[in-house]
Amino acid sequence: MTIRKMLLASVAIACAAMPVSAIADTADKKIALSNNYAGNSWRQAMLTSWEKVTGEAVKAGVVAAADPFTTAENQATEQAAQIQNMILQGYDAIVLNAASPTALNGAVKEACDAGITVVSFDGIVTEPCAWRIAVDFKEMGRSQVEYLSGKLPDGGNLLEIRGLAGVFVDDEISAGIHAGVAEFPQFKIVGSVHGDWAQDVAQKAVAGILPSLPEIAGVVTQGGDGYGAAQAIAATDRAMPVIVMGNREDELKWWKEQKDANGYETMSVSIAPGVSTLAFWVAQQILDGKDVKKDLVVPFLRIDQDNLEDNLANTQAGGVANVEYSQEDAIKVIEAAM
Amino acid sequence: MTPLSRLAGKPWIWSWIAAFVVWFATIMVTGGASTLGLSQAAFTFAAFSIIVGIGQMFVITLGPGNIDLSVPATMTLAGTVALKLMNGDNGMIVPGLLVAVLIGLAVGIGNYALIKALRIPPIIATLSMSFIVQSAAIWTNRGLRIKPPSFLADFTTSSTLGVPNVALVALAISLLAWVLLEKTVYGRWISAIGQSMAAARMAGIPVDGARFVTYLLCAVLASLAGYLLACFSGGAALNMGSEYLLMSIAVVVIGGTAVAGGDSNVPGIWGASLFMFLVVSMLNTYGIGAGVRLIMTGLIIISVIMLAGGRRTGMR
Repeated sequence: MTIRKMLLASVAIACAAMPVSAIADTADKKIALSNNYAGNSWRQAMLTSWEKVTGEAVKAGVVAAADPFTTAENQATEQAAQIQNMILQGYDAIVLNAASPTALNGAVKEACDAGITVVSFDGIVTEPCAWRIAVDFKEMGRSQVEYLSGKLPDGGNLLEIRGLAGVFVDDEISAGIHAGVAEFPQFKIVGSVHGDWAQDVAQKAVAGILPSLPEIAGVVTQGGDGYGAAQAIAATDRAMPVIVMGNREDELKWWKEQKDANGYETMSVSIAPGVSTLAFWVAQQILDGKDVKKDLVVPFLRIDQDNLEDNLANTQAGGVANVEYSQEDAIKVIEAAM
Repeated sequence: MTPLSRLAGKPWIWSWIAAFVVWFATIMVTGGASTLGLSQAAFTFAAFSIIVGIGQMFVITLGPGNIDLSVPATMTLAGTVALKLMNGDNGMIVPGLLVAVLIGLAVGIGNYALIKALRIPPIIATLSMSFIVQSAAIWTNRGLRIKPPSFLADFTTSSTLGVPNVALVALAISLLAWVLLEKTVYGRWISAIGQSMAAARMAGIPVDGARFVTYLLCAVLASLAGYLLACFSGGAALNMGSEYLLMSIAVVVIGGTAVAGGDSNVPGIWGASLFMFLVVSMLNTYGIGAGVRLIMTGLIIISVIMLAGGRRTGMR
């Protein structure tokens, strides 16, 4: 009894100490992050953003807890077990970056049946009871060719760097790029390699295909591979084509160096890893009783010639250009989908 | 035997033939215009596979069940920690290299401690070790990408007399490995252990010592490759080693080293590493889709192994 009294008392004090506006109906709710992978800079930034934003939210009493969990092996079975544990631990909402769009559906359904709100983002799940904060990857690919058509009105040859073969995201971005080429027929894709979204893999693949390619006007990418492509092309005596970047710090830094040295122009587009915080606020809004559409779309983070410096200054060394979302941003995204 | 048939009996010749055929097929697309560029790229990128492949070869020589799966994690940790220590300073190149080697030694000691003291099979022991090492890499750098010292970046990306410097480093390491394997008593020991550990023990060979040194050697070569690769690609990344797990094993097998152990060769590692790079370049150059490309890579590798392996049973 005494412990309970102490708890109640401390809650009362906490509530009294808080400005009235911060007290939401979700103050006693617990949210968990189920994440399938942590082994690259994007995921690291995603987790850091989560800790920063949710840490403040917990301190402000918006929610009771927001605990991140990452699986070790990037396996759907392992993540399904993790979700089942979260159900047993009594979380009110699970924010999910899924290892597979379909393989977790069983576990997600169990969570829904247990009355838990499931919000998937980035790696989304198809189970209808879950919310999806999806990225319009096709548009991300298409917008690159659209940008190049403005930059290079005469068109030219393009080298496409794809991601990890067999992954849904890779197919989507590539489909968008090919749709863009169909829309702007002055461009022609003369070569395509898989860079696995990693600089060293992209560098190797580009160095291998480059000797057999004609002159390249532009390189369309998927993010994480632009710097590797630049390294491979710089090692030859070719003129540097317009390489569309993917918001990684090394890519932006290289772009800045080139911009200062010879006025190099390009653009950079990707999804901010802080999208995890958008998912957090969406989950919080759903727990708060808001009516939220099941399918939401994440805004892109695009960097252009004039805001390169600002974004580079805000990007952590070795990280990814990032924005963290606030509750207001989430409400805006929710209302835009209505 | 004529010199030609003696050459055909070498287990490593098939990987060289395969590499040459693929190289030729690729340069023919451009009518020979890409010869120099493709060859230089092949030697540059093969160098990293060669360095890790040699380490893995020594381990596989030890016989059935011996394999080091901690290679990618060791590369990543050595690359990240060394670059963090050097922090772009040319004066810190030697300490950086020493730290990379020390990490290799530590991982090697850890691996063999698990295998020997806890009696865990090497495949499990080195896999668990790789989780620890990879986590250490994530913990130390959190995805940070620090530029290598300018001298090292220039050295790893440039060539001497048309030969990429990293290929020269790989050549030096290969020569040492060849001497170690063919001309020293240690090389005889590990071959003997691979053929029969019980017999080797009875013959008075220090089996545990030789195995321990072999795991150390493999981890040190992996850390060295990680150090060079991080400098070459302009910074260490957390996933930089992931490609080299299967690569290190594939180049050993394609190179004609017996998977069951006890019979290894260094030249095959070169042929196989060049081949592995060139086959991807060739299929990319021909513009073949990812699915077909992966299937073809698999089929080509299987045929090379069949040719190399089928030849050898008759020779033994």
